[in-house]
Amino acid sequence: MTVAAATALRANPDRNFRYWLLTPAIFLLLLVGLFPLFYSLIVSFMRIDMMDTDTSFAGLYNYANLFSDKRLWAALGHTLLITVIALPIELVLGLAMAYLFLEKMPGRQIFISLLILPTIISPIVAGATWRLLFDNRYGPINQVLGWFAGHPVTALWTINPQLVYPAIIFCEIWQWTPFMFLILLAALSNVDRSQTEAAAIDGAGFLRTFRRIVLPAIWPVMAIAILIRGLDLARIFDIIWALTAGGPGTMTETISVYTYSQGFKQFETSYTAAIAFLVIVILTVVVVWAIRRMGLAK
Amino acid sequence: MKNLPFHRRKDVRLALRYLVACLLVVIFVFPVYWLFIISFKTPDEIFAFPPVWYPKSIQFSNYFVLFKDGDAKTVLNSLILATVSTFFAMILGTIAAYSLVRFKTGGENLAVWIISQRMMPPVAIVFPVFLLYVYFGWVDTFFGLILLYTAFNLPYVIWMMRGYIEDIPLELEESALVDGCSRWAVLWKVVMPMARSGLFATAVFTFVFAWNEFLFALVLTRTEVATYTVQVTHYFGGQSNFWAKIAAMSVLGTIPVFIAVATMQRYLVRGISMGAVKG
Amino acid sequence: MSDLKITGLHKYYGSFHAVKGIDLEVPSGEFTVLVGPSGCGKSTLLRTIAGLEEASEGTVEIGNKDVTWARPGDRDIAMVFQNYALYPYMNVFENIAFGLRARKFPSAEIDKRVANAAEMLGIGPLLKRLPRELSGGQRQRVAIGRAIVRDARLFLFDEPLSNLDAQLRDDMRVEIKRLHQELGRTMIYVTHDQIEAMTLADRIVLLRDGRIEQLGSPLDLFERPANLFVASFLGSPKMNFIPATLSGNIATLSDGTKLLLAGKREGKAKQAVILGIRPQHIALSGKRVATGHAQVKVTVELVQPTGSRVQVAFPLGGKSIVAELESRGVSKPGEKISIDIDMARAIAIDPQTEKVI
Repeated sequence: MTVAAATALRANPDRNFRYWLLTPAIFLLLLVGLFPLFYSLIVSFMRIDMMDTDTSFAGLYNYANLFSDKRLWAALGHTLLITVIALPIELVLGLAMAYLFLEKMPGRQIFISLLILPTIISPIVAGATWRLLFDNRYGPINQVLGWFAGHPVTALWTINPQLVYPAIIFCEIWQWTPFMFLILLAALSNVDRSQTEAAAIDGAGFLRTFRRIVLPAIWPVMAIAILIRGLDLARIFDIIWALTAGGPGTMTETISVYTYSQGFKQFETSYTAAIAFLVIVILTVVVVWAIRRMGLAK
Repeated sequence: MKNLPFHRRKDVRLALRYLVACLLVVIFVFPVYWLFIISFKTPDEIFAFPPVWYPKSIQFSNYFVLFKDGDAKTVLNSLILATVSTFFAMILGTIAAYSLVRFKTGGENLAVWIISQRMMPPVAIVFPVFLLYVYFGWVDTFFGLILLYTAFNLPYVIWMMRGYIEDIPLELEESALVDGCSRWAVLWKVVMPMARSGLFATAVFTFVFAWNEFLFALVLTRTEVATYTVQVTHYFGGQSNFWAKIAAMSVLGTIPVFIAVATMQRYLVRGISMGAVKG
Repeated sequence: MSDLKITGLHKYYGSFHAVKGIDLEVPSGEFTVLVGPSGCGKSTLLRTIAGLEEASEGTVEIGNKDVTWARPGDRDIAMVFQNYALYPYMNVFENIAFGLRARKFPSAEIDKRVANAAEMLGIGPLLKRLPRELSGGQRQRVAIGRAIVRDARLFLFDEPLSNLDAQLRDDMRVEIKRLHQELGRTMIYVTHDQIEAMTLADRIVLLRDGRIEQLGSPLDLFERPANLFVASFLGSPKMNFIPATLSGNIATLSDGTKLLLAGKREGKAKQAVILGIRPQHIALSGKRVATGHAQVKVTVELVQPTGSRVQVAFPLGGKSIVAELESRGVSKPGEKISIDIDMARAIAIDPQTEKVI
């Protein structure tokens, strides 16, 4: 037996199997995940725009510009506004709905199936639907409001600066509360009943039982749901696009909409890359902070 | 209510729960209902004041127009993209998850890196991806979008399947190995069947993600593989003349997900709770 | 001819040294039991034989072929797992046929073999059922059926009975013993249960901390343990250990009792030892003392009837000693009795090295 054959024998024949399994997935993630990111990073230090394809390095020029870009900070503000209003409402409403359907009742499954419809349709379709609902003249919402007001209502929901945020947030809540509801229902169903029953026997009220027993039990799931929804809200694009396209003017422009318009309308290639990195940095910091804060880190 | 006997109190409670439940269903389902009926209305009914709450007759003319103009083809595009990318994401994601779970390949760091890919805001990479696709000539091709959707869904699939694969008893795989199966055969004959419900649940979500995706489709498609979400936004304009088309196109694009979710409901609910509980 | 030969086998998990140099040769047709307390490396050893764990050092030969780096499927082995490892989505027939299908046997041959195995194990009527429709004992039979249908050179059992209740465990033990006699195959069986080890084994390999403590027939290990660990691990109730001072053949206990050990002993003038006496080797005194036996008067402290026998505890040499006596003439606590110790079967252990002198 030759030396080479002898060494070949002295190894697990399946030792590379694990890497074969991972190779295609990692390759794809590198190709459309890491590579574009890396490319962006380099481009963000150049000065490429529609007029100019100057590929010499411009240092922190684009990053310096970020600070004086009022539209950018306004967009971040809009994103934050939508997030901090919509997220708590979705959470509380979802939790209340989960409690409503926690106990068995005939037809429960049918109710649940109907209630999750909004979540499975495309955000673009959701936005389009609410555009139809909000129409000032032919939409049913003004019509119903008119019944209560006693006179015809012609609110311009997607145009009037005072109404446009409520419109977006309504739509957002309508679409995603069922998602919260479904996750929290699953979490609540997993709470050990003997614990809540013991608390009831001990005379603890609903709030006390919830704070002391239910909340700690469902917290890991709830925290992840908050994290998922928070991230989705932070990069909200589709619903805005369909409902207001960022308007009126740039009043409802979120960070995603702004980045898109810088890249694909103004063709500010390098500057867009810099914005993208700012967004990634902010999101990473917030997510890491949130994971620590919510006690999700292992 | 306090004064009522116990069983009466329970009845009242149940009645109240039904009342609230019905109210919720009206609120959450009405917009979907409105979308559907607009698609069946005549133009006169759509632009009637006050609004027509239910159409006098079901009109399919709005749909005929979409088919006649070829706009309905975008639904077929979405179907191809979502189905094929889901298939590949499931296969590649599941075998990758298997490697992470069974062989601890790359340790916890690799797993965290993979899930962190999911948190990436799409808008941050869509521009460089666009440039990459222009360079390779992948814009407006099925290949390009399938590649992207597959990659886009991989972190989710890997994350979910990790949980399901962890639950498969190691002995089943070892027994198959002793019985003469190759490593690959163990994957197909033991791991996949054992993770079946997990595969279905994850596949539904993967399909819905790809089906509903908008931003990448907006940037990376033109005419050949434009998806229905992009098509819907083409009808947005200052005029409300396209209402019928918006509604009909939306309904066409929504029915397949409804069917997918309805047939997979059993797995879906478990999928959501499992994914969340396992994190 | 040997079916299994292990040479210088080591297994490390990171810095943990699980198997510390095992040499073992198993002759064809022998039933070998690997036994030891949990964490002794017996399962690791078995899994390394199966190829489910990689050997860190050393070689494994099965049927005179070096299989150290062969895949489990290429080793000509069959294995029965602790949790049965039945595929829940296949019926009993398919479960048993799985290994044959993996090896591309013709379907007529598969039918014949599965039917044979099923008959042998009395599970013929269950072939169409799914595993979840079976009881624990039936599942275990299917798991065994899946192994024997393969007709492999080496059969490996990894604690196959530990999930069964006591009654079933006894039944299955008999079944496995019968199978071994019928098939005449080489079997390696891992258990932590010393009764299983004693009843099943042609040869016991007693392991501790990744090393072989002693290897031999069950009776060998029971009667002639090599050290304190082996002596205390085997036998129920456990062997009694009494500190004593040995000079020549006479062992003196701390309370002054003198016992005469059998056989000639060379030795230092005085030596501290631990005297090992099995409860089964103590009896109630008869009319006369046989040679090599010693008679002692003791006061009964505790009585535990087990049915056919009775366990009696009494103080002797500063220790509480257990004896297994015949049921008739059961004594009560406080009663003084005279006992007869079979000193020919007693052992003396060096307290320093823990080896039997």
